[in-house]
Amino acid sequence: MSDRLEQIKEAVITRKRAEIHGLVETAVNEGIEPGSIIDSGLIAAMDVVGRQFSDNEIFVPEMLVSALTMKMGLDVVKPLLLKSGENRSRGTVIMATVKGDIHDIGKNIVIMMLEGAGFQVVDLGVDLTVEKLVDQVDAVRPDLVGLSALLTTTMPEMRRAVQVLHGRGSGKTVKVMVGGAPVTPSFAREIGADGYGADAAEAVALARRLTSPGEGQAAC
Amino acid sequence: MKSTPYNLVMSALYKGKKGDRPPAGNPTSIVCHGLMDACGVSFPEAHLNPQAMAELALAGHEILGFDTVMPEYSVDQEAAALGCEIDWGDRDRMPDTKFFPHADFSDVVVPMDFVEKPSIRVVLDALSILRRHVGGKAAIIGKVMGPWTLSYHVAGTQNFLLQIGLEEKDKVKRMLRQLMPATIASARAQFQAGADIVVLADHATGNLVGAYHYQEYLLPIHKELTSTIEGPLILHVCGNCMDRIEMFADAGFDGYHFEWQVDAKKAVEKVGWRMCLVGNVNNAETLYQGTPDDVYQQARYAIEAGVDIIGPECAIPLATPMENLKAIVAAVREGY
Repeated sequence: MSDRLEQIKEAVITRKRAEIHGLVETAVNEGIEPGSIIDSGLIAAMDVVGRQFSDNEIFVPEMLVSALTMKMGLDVVKPLLLKSGENRSRGTVIMATVKGDIHDIGKNIVIMMLEGAGFQVVDLGVDLTVEKLVDQVDAVRPDLVGLSALLTTTMPEMRRAVQVLHGRGSGKTVKVMVGGAPVTPSFAREIGADGYGADAAEAVALARRLTSPGEGQAAC
Repeated sequence: MKSTPYNLVMSALYKGKKGDRPPAGNPTSIVCHGLMDACGVSFPEAHLNPQAMAELALAGHEILGFDTVMPEYSVDQEAAALGCEIDWGDRDRMPDTKFFPHADFSDVVVPMDFVEKPSIRVVLDALSILRRHVGGKAAIIGKVMGPWTLSYHVAGTQNFLLQIGLEEKDKVKRMLRQLMPATIASARAQFQAGADIVVLADHATGNLVGAYHYQEYLLPIHKELTSTIEGPLILHVCGNCMDRIEMFADAGFDGYHFEWQVDAKKAVEKVGWRMCLVGNVNNAETLYQGTPDDVYQQARYAIEAGVDIIGPECAIPLATPMENLKAIVAAVREGY
């Protein structure tokens, strides 16, 4: 990897917000492909940040700032991708926090990382009723739905959402991945979710698997 | 010592004599649909009306058999009194803070009449009702939010954590200090109204923030709170807090209410000789989804590990079956 990409990666990992804009611009001016800047610089950094988070070396405050730094870098590169007509979309994901739960940090970090990884994300926000979710799934026709719950008190709502989405029986059923502090792999399996991500990095890896052609197996 | 619910809880809190059995206690909500139906009181009424609030708390003692009564089911009572907009939810949904009045980190001034605000007054009146009904029989537990949780409410959780990540240390510390009077006033008023114990919930949650954040920002404040508030305090912090559990004891709390993610044996080994441990039956998999036998086994594990007061780890899902809550009581009634 070029030194410049390594610098970009390091700036995201170490949360150097003041430097990221200049570093990415310099990389573009040096002729480095926007796709490489995203994959080998910005996203590669968030993979490291995700691992640090999983290993309890850093926590949400630091992760938020790294994600913000990544987004600042993405904002420089994305217009160039659009201009070049390169289609990097890996698919469309609807993201939401279930009814009764207004916690959205985890969801927001996952969204930032999914966008970085090339997904189109439709953020339906927090406290989302199953009815509204179904309406949006019908309107957007996403490849994947990601549901978050932070409270044990709202986990039953997650169960209901998955059951409704999977029980409609008309056409192709949308895949659902779930996550959030109280959610466990066994809960995800029990409610019939297609996958569970313990953190943002796992959620992105899961989204990649679930949207890959031929993917049909539950991943939780 | 007579093995009455009150005596068992208070003695366990101070690591005193053991009675015939460990007590079953709930520092956080044990309200489920079954309990609401059984006593004819429902949410949101029980957040807003002192009589309804007290009746639902009593049901936890009289119908389920817990040794405590705890009438505050939401985390939003202080937030409402500080000017946050609260959606009080419904039978199926807990309350939530909808509007964060200090998202810009503007100065927070705790009003002089803070404890007379309706959302605080309702808890105080409920505690007084409970005192008249079960004072000296069951242990009456109040609950207040600490400055960290109140910061989530007045500034927004993500916004508050972002400022920590950005190392805006002065800004963060100023907000925490400005919110301390709300916690102190609320706790003191709850003791005066009839609480035997007050739970101080402060969500510097394991996996959300690190032990180093707790040490830098909150430990000094918790030390001040425990020395200023005269009555016994149980700290509630969610998540796996094994990395900071000794700091909770250093802070001067009388007890710590903890989650299943912290192994009961390890917790007892680390701080059991310094503070009362309360918990730690798992909510998501055991109480909500498991069988009464699963709950019983986990409660017995906690008892055998030396946990002093046995109960759910946190506010339970509203769809939790009543039989599972009763299994906690069955486990403690078998004795040590």
